Amino acid sequence: MNPLYLLGAALGLSLTVSAAQADKLDSIISSGTLRCAVTLDFPPMGSRDANNEPIGFDVDYCRDLAAALGVDAVIVDTPFPDRIPALVSGRADVGVASTSDTLELAKTVGFSIPYFAFTNVVLTREGTGIETFEDLQGRNVGSVAGVFEALALEEQMTEWGGGAFRPYQSQADVFLALSQGQIEATVVTSTVASAIVESGNFPNLVIGGEAPFGIDYVGLITLRQEYGLINYLDLFVNQQVRTGRYQELYEKWLGGSAAPELTVPGVYR
Amino acid sequence: MFDTAMTWNDLMFMLRGAGVTLWITAIAVGGGTALGLVFGVMRSALSPWVTWPLAFVLDVLRSVPLLIQLVLANSFQAIAGFGWSPFVTSCVGLALYTAALCTEVVRGAILSVPETTRRAARSLGMTWAQDQTQIVFPMALRVGLPSWINLTLGVMKDSALVLWLGIIELLRASQILVTRLQEPMFILLVAGAIYFLISFPVARFGERLEKRWREHD
Amino acid sequence: MFDYTFQWRQAYRHLPRMLEGALVTLEIAVLSLVIGITIAVLLAVARDSKSIWLRAPATAWVEVARNTPALFQIYMAHFGLGSFGIYLSPYVALLAGIAFNNAGYLCETFRGALRAIPQTQTRAGRSLGMGQAQTFRLILMPQMFRISFLPTTNQMVWAILMTSLGVTVGMATDLTGITQNLNARTFRTFELFAMAAVLYYLIAKAVMLAARLIAWRLFRY
Repeated sequence: MNPLYLLGAALGLSLTVSAAQADKLDSIISSGTLRCAVTLDFPPMGSRDANNEPIGFDVDYCRDLAAALGVDAVIVDTPFPDRIPALVSGRADVGVASTSDTLELAKTVGFSIPYFAFTNVVLTREGTGIETFEDLQGRNVGSVAGVFEALALEEQMTEWGGGAFRPYQSQADVFLALSQGQIEATVVTSTVASAIVESGNFPNLVIGGEAPFGIDYVGLITLRQEYGLINYLDLFVNQQVRTGRYQELYEKWLGGSAAPELTVPGVYR
Repeated sequence: MFDTAMTWNDLMFMLRGAGVTLWITAIAVGGGTALGLVFGVMRSALSPWVTWPLAFVLDVLRSVPLLIQLVLANSFQAIAGFGWSPFVTSCVGLALYTAALCTEVVRGAILSVPETTRRAARSLGMTWAQDQTQIVFPMALRVGLPSWINLTLGVMKDSALVLWLGIIELLRASQILVTRLQEPMFILLVAGAIYFLISFPVARFGERLEKRWREHD
Repeated sequence: MFDYTFQWRQAYRHLPRMLEGALVTLEIAVLSLVIGITIAVLLAVARDSKSIWLRAPATAWVEVARNTPALFQIYMAHFGLGSFGIYLSPYVALLAGIAFNNAGYLCETFRGALRAIPQTQTRAGRSLGMGQAQTFRLILMPQMFRISFLPTTNQMVWAILMTSLGVTVGMATDLTGITQNLNARTFRTFELFAMAAVLYYLIAKAVMLAARLIAWRLFRY
């Protein structure tokens, strides 16, 4: 047989094999860029500096991941309701955007193990008289469409009856509406609430007690079927904690104390 | 109120957003007009029995909100595995929308040319193509151009919706600044002024053109 | 090509809620058109008035409404006015934004229609002993509405399309608001928005049909 023919067949075979096996992890490494969906109106996890460049915990986390993969990081700004569409439509490879690992979302996207954990608090304006979560009964409240705390809050408001719940399309719009008085309170993660209050941008906002929603564990997300990448993300999160980088980033963006525990006692994963 | 924390840098950020707005508009109007011309001539020249599928699709494009169309286009290109960037998706979506509106402008303009004039042209021995390019086109242009200018401005304003797909155009750029600086009124006024400065002179030009051409009729 | 499983059943389950949303959409569009027409008539009179104090604000209204995006106008009605302590609920902000836009466009439509009415009509009215206002109301306005009926119908369809923008100011009860809310929970984007598109198309067709019936009742000679 003609050796050239053999070579050609072998080449053809190797091409089809590599094409069939190129998963997301491979294509990220070979493309040289990692596109992270990050929410940039959610300080201190994601926001923009004076030059309108992205900064924050999630931004650094994405850059660490890119460095581990040996590629460049590209930050894709996605408001909360846009995170999953961005992944599914191929605008981003990985979501580093404080995505709650709910069973509903897991129908559509694949989660890594938790890389952060939030508790939620009530954020309100001065003079509304709201001091605890129960005071929200009958008030105008709002949150970002579809996020963990929004779903819990809307459910609670429906149960109470009266008042109104408004879903906004970004966290920024919620804070703007709250500071203007369009809504009287929102429920938001405690880290974000304290960052917002400390930023001085909203002098009239105060924290009004804890919201009884349990701990909100958030994971990195990617397409559901990309097991190779999800495995990699799991190990990456583990390594971030193990090497102390998690604590370091926590101190950099959220202040001195111990970073939140990422495990649930009594159960695997 | 004019004591603002907005810097030149931020204004440049907004102007870059305005640049994106103009760029997307130019591509969408270019593509949409080309398609609209073809569809418009088809719809005026062929029998409605032949063109009804086209007419139906264009009618749907005109009766469904652009926001819904863009979201659908984006999710469709993802499902179909085209791998388009949001920019490409926005341009394609807006261009199809423009084409649907432009077809009506073209068709209306062609129908405004009196049947007798066209018959006269054909009796002088002109071919269909000659009739189209030398009689219909110049006469229809006068009727159609002012509407086309309005259409272009409409697309420019509607292009604000592509922010939904994550593109940082003028309105999205101002929202980002509002998030950081917390001066919604001032920043939105600046954004409005930029839109106005782009749109108003062109709109005035269109009106003048319409008036002048009408006088010569 | 399609590495995606369509889940129409999940979307279809939400159809009753989306139909409720469609009603709200229609309601806002109709209200915004009624308000828009009322203001547009006033603007049309003001724009051709001799007093600059009437002419200038009317001109400003029309030019701003026609030269900035509707999305901007609605955003402004909610967050812009909010910084002056004027709080419009998403429903009212959306309604105000669209009515503002409708009024601007319809004003120009009406002015065009008024110019198309022969001068002799006004003179005939006046010589019958009618006052200026009476002539306008009884002679000019009915003809103006008749001439501008088709563009007004088109504006109605635009108003329906514009209601979809309410979602950016926290509107949750109209068709797009409900669709987007369901989408944020289930992420069946294509299925949900495809259903919304069909509903919008049907609303638009229903409105066109209704307009044709009204025209047939009102304007036959």
